[in-house]
Amino acid sequence: MARSSRFIGAWMDVLAIAAWGVLFLNYWLTGKLYLLIHPNYMWLTVAAAIGLLALAVWRGIFLLQRSKSRNVGNDTSHMTLLPTGWSSTLLLATAILGLIITPRAFASQTAIQRGVIDAPTLTRVKPQAFRASSNTEDKSIIDWVRTLTVYPEPDAYTGQAAKVQGFVIYPPDLPNQYLLISRFVLTCCAADAYPISLPVKLTGTHEQYKPDTWLEIQGQMMTETLGGKRQLVIRAAAIQPIEEPKNPYDY
Amino acid sequence: MNWTQLNSAFTLFLSLLVEAVPFLLLGVLFSGVLQFFVDERKLVRLMPRNAFLGALFGSCIGFLFPVCECGNVPVARRLLMQGVPSSVAIGFLLAAPTINPIVFWATWTAFRDQPEIVFLRIGCSLVIAVLLGWVFSSQKDLRPMLQPTVARAMPAKTGVRGKGLGTQSTENDVSLLQSGTYFLGQAEQPIDVSEFQAAAIAATTAGKPFSYKLSLMLESMIQEMRELGGVLILGSAIAALIQAFVPREAVLALGQGPVTSILAMMLLAAIVSICSTVDAFFALSFSSLFTTGSLLAFLVYGPMIDLKGIGLMMSIFKPRAVFYLFALAGQLTFLFALLVNLYGS
Repeated sequence: MARSSRFIGAWMDVLAIAAWGVLFLNYWLTGKLYLLIHPNYMWLTVAAAIGLLALAVWRGIFLLQRSKSRNVGNDTSHMTLLPTGWSSTLLLATAILGLIITPRAFASQTAIQRGVIDAPTLTRVKPQAFRASSNTEDKSIIDWVRTLTVYPEPDAYTGQAAKVQGFVIYPPDLPNQYLLISRFVLTCCAADAYPISLPVKLTGTHEQYKPDTWLEIQGQMMTETLGGKRQLVIRAAAIQPIEEPKNPYDY
Repeated sequence: MNWTQLNSAFTLFLSLLVEAVPFLLLGVLFSGVLQFFVDERKLVRLMPRNAFLGALFGSCIGFLFPVCECGNVPVARRLLMQGVPSSVAIGFLLAAPTINPIVFWATWTAFRDQPEIVFLRIGCSLVIAVLLGWVFSSQKDLRPMLQPTVARAMPAKTGVRGKGLGTQSTENDVSLLQSGTYFLGQAEQPIDVSEFQAAAIAATTAGKPFSYKLSLMLESMIQEMRELGGVLILGSAIAALIQAFVPREAVLALGQGPVTSILAMMLLAAIVSICSTVDAFFALSFSSLFTTGSLLAFLVYGPMIDLKGIGLMMSIFKPRAVFYLFALAGQLTFLFALLVNLYGS
């Protein structure tokens, strides 16, 4: 009896560890890993997936050989707070949940909860050069925000053309002629994602654009006073709904 | 609570795991290598006798085993079970996530403009780890502070293995610890497997054949991966839930003053639970908002203690000891950060 339960336990371990390997590989191959971690660190996850699968296969082969020689594994002892069965069940169950439930990119609710920062010092491993002559329509939201951090006077940008993509956020006190076009910025993994945004002035009211809708906004830069602060605002000329990009974060 | 929040909590939870599991696997791998390819008697002979030097030595082992705060636990536990002095093991546990080449490089990359942060981070972590290792070594027998299975696996100094602590704690813990057997439908008395554990450890130095050693190494790696993986999942779940439901502004709003900013960043470090190898980049995004001292507190305290890692720590220590580590490391970090805020440039 003890032998058979140990047998089941041993194979549960193999299954649980393999399931995590499969989960990681699955996230990588389906591109969902982009939602969870910075591309710089993806190789770590992929390496771990291969390591976990190798460990599971090694253990599996070992168990098969053992069962031929009638001896089912060494007694595995308890090392931690969790009882044996619980630990592998928890591992397996979480991996299965991970395979079933699709992780989602963060949306406006998280952004509001984390606080939309308008002038953070943005992280960059490799600092980018600023080219004064570059086409301002090529700038993403994060490029604009970075430029603003270096030279915050909004009047300096008046009249420049803007074309940015992001999702819609409505902070509680935003007048209804405006929306915030936003992106999450990742430094390492989704746990540290923080939102950045630019205010957009619409010709009409903002009712037709639901929060979290992805939009491409074309327009011109201007200065407005919002919430008692002079700010750089995009005056929208054309607004185009777009698909949520495969990689919704910016870096 | 609503569906979106729950989904972002789940996404957060997965992102913590996607990042932490590779490092846990690395730690388990190192632990396995340490267990079966290093002769612990030689290892222990190498260690300095003096508690202070031992703690210093332990704090620097991280250069050989570059692990973060998920990988240091299996290695520290292995060190303890191989009879390494407690000052060495605790020094390693606290310092290894920071004092290692990968973290040094990452912090340097992030804070190139403020090199003082890099050196203060390394220096303060080293001092705190050494002091705590030293303090804990005053406890002659560390076993009452350890989880029974770890304590029993430690080579007995007096020759009365398992007596005293062993018998008393077995009464309390065995049913909890070993309910795995109940789980699988056996109503009989749980088997005391710790004897085997001790035997397995004792067997390591004997001149066993290579294949036998290899199979034992596989066994222990699977076991550690399973146990610590389960604990890591629980820790990450708690960290993710708190992050998803407590607005980050609530933490950051705690303050910007020289004292309150430190407390806010220490709290943030414990909640966010990101790996020490990458936390420098995260800290950098706060560098314009927060004082130098508070950034330092984040970088020093986070790798030592965080929500995700408490469960892992509890696989070595009893809750009381974890609390001591928590409190002492916190106070020292606070003190150093405050000095930087008040007297730093």
